[in-house]
Amino acid sequence: MNATAVVHEDTSARWFIYTAVTFFLVTILIGLLMATRFVFPEFLGGIAAISSGRIRPIHTNGVLFGWLLAANMGLAFFVVPRLCGTKLYSEKLGLATLGLWVVIILGAVVTLASGDTQAKEYLELNTTLDILVTIAWVMFAVNMFVTIAKRSKEREQMYVSLWYLMGTLLWTAVLWIVGNLPVYSGVNDANVNWWFGHNAVGLIFTPMGLAMAYYYIPKSTGNPLYSHRLSIIGFWTIAFLYIWNGAHHIIFGPIPTWLQTVAILFSISLLIPVWTAVTNFYGTLRGKWAQGNYVVKFLVAGTTFYLLTCFQGPMHSLRTVNQIVSKTDWIIGHAHMAVFGAFSFFAMAGIYYTLPRILRRPMYSDRLGEWHFWLSFVGFLGFAVSLWIGGFVQGLQWMNYTISFLDTVKAMSPYYVVRLFSALIMIVAQLLFAFNVLKTARGGAQMTPATV
Amino acid sequence: MKLEAKAFLLVLVVAAFMFLGTYFTMVVPLTDRSLYTPAKDAKPYTALEAKGKKIYEREGCVYCHTQQVRNLLEETQRYGMGEEETFKRFGVRALIQAPPSQPGEYVYDRPHLLGTRRVGPDLARVGGKYDNTWHLNHFRDPRSTSPGSLMPSYTWLFDRAGQPTDEAIALVAYIQKLGTNYRWREEGVEQARALQAKRAPAPPAQQSVPPTTTQEGVK
Repeated sequence: MNATAVVHEDTSARWFIYTAVTFFLVTILIGLLMATRFVFPEFLGGIAAISSGRIRPIHTNGVLFGWLLAANMGLAFFVVPRLCGTKLYSEKLGLATLGLWVVIILGAVVTLASGDTQAKEYLELNTTLDILVTIAWVMFAVNMFVTIAKRSKEREQMYVSLWYLMGTLLWTAVLWIVGNLPVYSGVNDANVNWWFGHNAVGLIFTPMGLAMAYYYIPKSTGNPLYSHRLSIIGFWTIAFLYIWNGAHHIIFGPIPTWLQTVAILFSISLLIPVWTAVTNFYGTLRGKWAQGNYVVKFLVAGTTFYLLTCFQGPMHSLRTVNQIVSKTDWIIGHAHMAVFGAFSFFAMAGIYYTLPRILRRPMYSDRLGEWHFWLSFVGFLGFAVSLWIGGFVQGLQWMNYTISFLDTVKAMSPYYVVRLFSALIMIVAQLLFAFNVLKTARGGAQMTPATV
Repeated sequence: MKLEAKAFLLVLVVAAFMFLGTYFTMVVPLTDRSLYTPAKDAKPYTALEAKGKKIYEREGCVYCHTQQVRNLLEETQRYGMGEEETFKRFGVRALIQAPPSQPGEYVYDRPHLLGTRRVGPDLARVGGKYDNTWHLNHFRDPRSTSPGSLMPSYTWLFDRAGQPTDEAIALVAYIQKLGTNYRWREEGVEQARALQAKRAPAPPAQQSVPPTTTQEGVK
């Protein structure tokens, strides 16, 4: 740290985080409503605006864009200026971005509940909202790129988190604009849909999550990054390999076989960037597991879930496995491991590390933080494992056409009960999280201004 | 490694990689004319069917129903016609497999509704499987026709007297259209009849004919 320390305002970071946590609570409650209906189909039935078909995209878009991306944008507003040794280019622009983001999310809730949808998974938002998202993303990107361009001389060699962030700025823009063009039809529309859908995970949420993990793992453990070379390999392989995978969502479907095979080959090769990143994370976390507080626990568990979900992914693309698990609830468990188990855990660790440093006071309660971790962890495992077993069983039942479809649905009911119970635990955990953030934000003992 | 120190250059290389993968997996299929050639029996949606498709999109049916019979034996069997069904409707006992979905059947779909999850069954071949009344009863109260179903009751597609609205009627029209861009039911039954005529000339009414698989004929 040089003598003339930069004073960071962090207003954008702070308000992005508060907003993200608020949206998180709303969207997971919508998820809970849907999980309830898998046990009691008529629960709160008969109301069009909250029927499962309409609130499902609110849950997915809400968790992805309202919570996870917003949380990561908030953390980026904290991380990037520090990695660049300079102030954020514009806090005003950051707050304007947040304002627009809130308008988009609220607009999404209203339009989707009223049935105004483009009906393609993860591309549901209507054209007006699509354009607003594009504008908001450009505002965010300008803020980030200008801050990076103004970085101090000793930060000339950029840290790996910044590569991932810059990649995300570009990938998100291209995916969003090309994916939303209203020019496709038929099976090509499906192919573009999954070019977008798969890469939304792979080239928006993965690199954003990894950028944060690469920052917060060394910071919260005090260990140096395990390997610079591994981080280079991981970044460039992800940049090259991920984009080819979309078609693995339509294996055995009405698209050309060569396209499916290409997607399978590249899916398997994704083990390279994943294992390099995970080796790097575990190496950096080495020796700190036992003494770790909940921040480190979230990072360790997040790394492990990232490893597991990205082992499942390539395996799902294999035709023999895909035949069984595709279209079942197994995939719902898999998706939650990526978005909740891996990247939300990274974001939560980031928030627990960041908020005290922005507010210059400790978290309101470390015990609540520990409870948040353990309930999230146990709840998620119950949620995912029940869906994995149930989905696998249902997939096997579907392979015997003499078992009627309804019987395979009825066979799922015990798994749906476990899922609902586990989802309740996950939600209690997030209520503790939000309460802890709220109390920390509202006040408490001031820490002595630390150099952060 | 100097590349990571040059922001502009890094973004440029990342963009080049992205273009490469996108070109081969997205642009090449977009220029593949065979993916746009309508299937032999394909007809554009009528105004009523198109309205029904809009309802299907609005209500998020796609989140629980796929529209793709995958190229797998168990799916062509499950979504085909069983002996009971062919005997009741066509007077022939035969197992008729549903042909796997082909790109040419989707050319009029904008947006596509292939779906990814089967909380309920696949609908790619559902047209003609049930009559319109069954579908209306199923939308109003799914568990009356399908005990154990997890589908919501679409009460808002019916008026106070329980009569179907225009939207419900349009939705049924759309559902009945699904899978008919390929006249597989009719063709399958014709082939089953031809096969049986060859094997057992003039069968007495009670005689049961061994199950016939007509996959090769349906190609």
